Amino acid sequence: MAVFNLKKREIECKIVYYGPGRCGKTTNLEYIFKAYKKQVEGEMVSINTEGDRTLFFDFLPMELGKIKGCDVRVQLFTVPGQVQYSSTRKLVLRGVDGVVFVADSLEVRREKNMLSLKDLQQNLKDYGLNIFKIPLILQYNKRDLADEGMPIMPIEKMEKDLNRQLKVPSFPGSAVKGEGVGITLQECLKRTLNSLQKQFNWAQK
Amino acid sequence: MSKQIKSLLQQAELYRSQGLLGEAKKKYKLVEELISGSDKLPNKQKLLDGLSKKMEALNKDVEVIEKAPTTPEMSAHVNELIKKLFSFSSKDKDESDSALEGAIALAKFGQFEGALEEFQKLLDVKSQRLSAAKNILRCHLEMGNIETASEKLEEWQKGDMLAPEQKEKLAVFYDDILEKKGLKKEPVIEDEAAGAADQEETAEEEEEFLDISAVAITFDSGPYKGEQVELDVSFQSGNVISLIISSKDEALIENLKVGVRLDDVHFYSPVAIFRGAGLVSAMTQIKSGPKKGDYSLDIKIESL
Repeated sequence: MAVFNLKKREIECKIVYYGPGRCGKTTNLEYIFKAYKKQVEGEMVSINTEGDRTLFFDFLPMELGKIKGCDVRVQLFTVPGQVQYSSTRKLVLRGVDGVVFVADSLEVRREKNMLSLKDLQQNLKDYGLNIFKIPLILQYNKRDLADEGMPIMPIEKMEKDLNRQLKVPSFPGSAVKGEGVGITLQECLKRTLNSLQKQFNWAQK
Repeated sequence: MSKQIKSLLQQAELYRSQGLLGEAKKKYKLVEELISGSDKLPNKQKLLDGLSKKMEALNKDVEVIEKAPTTPEMSAHVNELIKKLFSFSSKDKDESDSALEGAIALAKFGQFEGALEEFQKLLDVKSQRLSAAKNILRCHLEMGNIETASEKLEEWQKGDMLAPEQKEKLAVFYDDILEKKGLKKEPVIEDEAAGAADQEETAEEEEEFLDISAVAITFDSGPYKGEQVELDVSFQSGNVISLIISSKDEALIENLKVGVRLDDVHFYSPVAIFRGAGLVSAMTQIKSGPKKGDYSLDIKIESL
């Protein structure tokens, strides 16, 4: 639910990083916080529990500057991935404008990815949103683990599992190394702002 | 075999470092089975002892995570942030609506003390008084303080903060949640309240605040057939919500006669949308005030 101030020509939108537990949502935000210092507005807030698991959410506010005559601010959130935090996950998703779904490339996490995507679809539906219509980007994270001899899924397999119907942009990534993090965010922002343009017609021609 | 064991152990360690403790455990188990089933390993017992230590440490990690509080008390700064980030009403419209949403968000994140403070302040706002009172009772029950909740209700029933019909609605609401939670209700007004000693914390974890802020009704007949109409909820008591319909909207008034069953309704609560059904239970024309001439419509929520 983006906030658009016509008078001040300001727009604020919300992007949520979704995905199964331990897939690297927080690591994405941590990298963004470090790498995009100029655009970051304030501090990153993480509400964690034991084992560095996100308990409530991570929050990172960004100021993108003027885009087409409008000051654009973005709030980045992560949801807690663990299954037991479903009500918190739903709460954090409320008012979302764009979603980055972070999938774990580890073979052993295949089913968790699919369940989490299904959970996203259901939660969006509960808010009257359609997973096929909301700006959505997939990131296949932890590609670097192949170098350590860990069994990871080929991109093609992940595409079949998660993106066969959605057909949204997807990027391989290694959030811990910062690979694929920037492009994922940029693409999500691009799609989100385009979608908001259709709704609010905020951009100056 | 030693190569296979080494590889599995390496995977287990990596999963553990990734926080994937369940996956790590499975790998350790596999290693355990391999070692136990082998007669050729010279240092079998030593390996099993080493593995046992690793599994023990892993189990401790799991235990720490499982025992961690799911709703620890947060700092004032975090609570402020939660209120700010999870209140969606425009402050320009009505600051108290936004404050109520913020307080509900605090409660949803388990920050009951902070939420109670906010709801307490909202008792001073006439338009939010009933919602605040309901949520105060909810919070006390979620915290397992059934006695405090009952005392609060009794205090409000005796005082003049709430109008008589609000008192009645609050009592019905309290009764409902006690029933839903399987808690025996204490007498509310009578001072000679008797034995409630066995009414201790059997509160469940489930904590939905089913305060409905708006509805979207899809009509299957009449002038609005096939259309979805969104209406704000002006008041709610238990499972009955009240909506204001402009006198100019004759077609809608026609569609929503008393007794009409609405099979496709989206109920918007501050935190989620529920799909369900309702029954038009009353329709009265407003006789005075800024909405004079408009209609107040009551819908009984039949299912969510």
